[in-house]
Amino acid sequence: MEKILDKKRIDDWINALTGWEILTPALEDGVWAYRPVSGAIRLDHTNTAQPPKGLAFPQREVFFSFEQIKGEAPRLTQILPDAKQRAVFGVRPCDGRGTVRMDKVFSDHAADIYYQSRRKNIVYVGLACNQPPGANCFCLSVGGSPISSDGLDVLLTDLEDRYFVTAVTEAGKALIAAAGGLLAEPAANDRAQVEKVHAQAVAHPQRAIDKPNETPAKLKASFKSPLWEELARACIGCGICTFLCPTCHCFDINDEVTGSAPMRGSRVRTWDNCQFPDFTMHSSGHNPRENSGARLRQRVCHKFQYFFENFGMHQCTGCGRCITGCPVGIDIVSVVNKVVEHAG
Amino acid sequence: MPDNIYLPELARVAYIKEEVGGERAIKTFRIEPVNGKTFEHECGQCAMLSLFGRGEMMISIASSPLIKEYKQFSIMRVGRVSTTFHELEVGDIVGIRGPYGNSFPVDDWRGKNLFFIGGGCGLAPIWPVITTAVAQRANFKNITVFYGGRSPRDIMYKTELEKLRGDVDVHLSVDKTEEGWSEFCGFVPANVMDKSPSSENAIAITCGPPIMIKYVIQNLRELGFADDQIYTTIENKMKCGIGKCGRCNVGKDYVCVKGPVFSWAELKELPEEY
Repeated sequence: MEKILDKKRIDDWINALTGWEILTPALEDGVWAYRPVSGAIRLDHTNTAQPPKGLAFPQREVFFSFEQIKGEAPRLTQILPDAKQRAVFGVRPCDGRGTVRMDKVFSDHAADIYYQSRRKNIVYVGLACNQPPGANCFCLSVGGSPISSDGLDVLLTDLEDRYFVTAVTEAGKALIAAAGGLLAEPAANDRAQVEKVHAQAVAHPQRAIDKPNETPAKLKASFKSPLWEELARACIGCGICTFLCPTCHCFDINDEVTGSAPMRGSRVRTWDNCQFPDFTMHSSGHNPRENSGARLRQRVCHKFQYFFENFGMHQCTGCGRCITGCPVGIDIVSVVNKVVEHAG
Repeated sequence: MPDNIYLPELARVAYIKEEVGGERAIKTFRIEPVNGKTFEHECGQCAMLSLFGRGEMMISIASSPLIKEYKQFSIMRVGRVSTTFHELEVGDIVGIRGPYGNSFPVDDWRGKNLFFIGGGCGLAPIWPVITTAVAQRANFKNITVFYGGRSPRDIMYKTELEKLRGDVDVHLSVDKTEEGWSEFCGFVPANVMDKSPSSENAIAITCGPPIMIKYVIQNLRELGFADDQIYTTIENKMKCGIGKCGRCNVGKDYVCVKGPVFSWAELKELPEEY
């Protein structure tokens, strides 16, 4: 389904979506973040500082609470997320592709009820990148594109005074249907223009992984490469790379105790980070990834080798956040290129 | 799998036995479901045990799948949860979820000679295979158990091992001998070489400290065991048990899903990151 929306009418569309909580990019203290809509919507963001992954996979969430009177059995109360319908506007194609990867992790082998009960109620309205919004964009190197609708329910393309609106999924069609007659049928010149804009977007130069097809095999051959330690030497283990990543899913589970007599607390899931030394440390003190080189290798190989071997796609969507955000200049594109080149 | 994979069932501690004392204390716990019903498991699988307010830990199920009334766990006191576990009393309630991981292909081993080689706490993960094989004794040819501890006081399942004799050849060892010890003195791999089992129609299953496993496998290879005749288990830190929390992987495989049981043929293809 394809439609045309006058840019001036986008707020009317959003107002018509009464069944959904609407989140849009908002500029707060100089940082773009997804926030509940208030006032006129802005879609002139580059990309949000954080991807939308936290909507389905919050940084902290309670699995269940427990209460135990001494000498009695504990009482557990399962806490499932509410079933709020949400529509998220302005999601860039790299982040749409991020959700595809998160969906794989949280449904593969065993379904994660917490992730899925949030995810099934989220509709993503994407915005194509007419030109790469960031200096570190490299989506074309990882099988994506600035106009990809993968993982999105609707894709908007900016045609100056109007949006070309493509419904990708049934959920996306429902959003358009809710707008009644607000969206028009595209004319021939709309189609011609969107084709032109898309062709230019794909042709726009980006940063690049030199040999994307050879990367998984070359990384596999480079497990014992001395380059890992060298490339990780500057790493301070802050973990911002995974915190900002649209596909990093690693988490910790811990008990938080809030009271005694009766003992009360919750079992809580929080994001965790493969760049932290204790991430893999056994209680005996043994650590299979005992230095920052092994931990950088894990981050890079998980994204460009292991995930590829398991799911046939890279677990990186080329958003470039980990590069821009790194305080010591560790650059995943350059790391991959160097290791692959060194492998010969 | 239950709807909510993270929500444990409640289980009652029915039996506690101190196996080994001292710094590296090991206790055996038998836990039974509070509601009378729990999940079934296979030899080699693990379960996530909970102490509410403390957290969870992944432990091998040490009892045979043939035993339905309880599940047994032999736990070394080493971390936050295991230390608190050691303070439990009979009747206390814990949480359990599982089972997790793959299992030993015991049914494929019918008609074969089985060699079990354990060290320290590593007897627990292979104990369900030993006891299942003994319960189905006619299905297998010779069954041999090599097991060693640092000293005679570090030998776990002492009574149970003695009971096996007759059905099973048991070869015990200690790293450092003491008065009254009549069996082999030396490391477990050396005891294996001393007895030099034949690799013909045989399967070897080993579990213990990583350094022991390394030399046991080296020695088994020397004795003519092929890579696919040798099985072991590996452990890594785990939080979820279902391939999502991202920390127990060795290369592309999560130990909690594709492991903990690997043949040496499989394991030697994976990067050494365990």
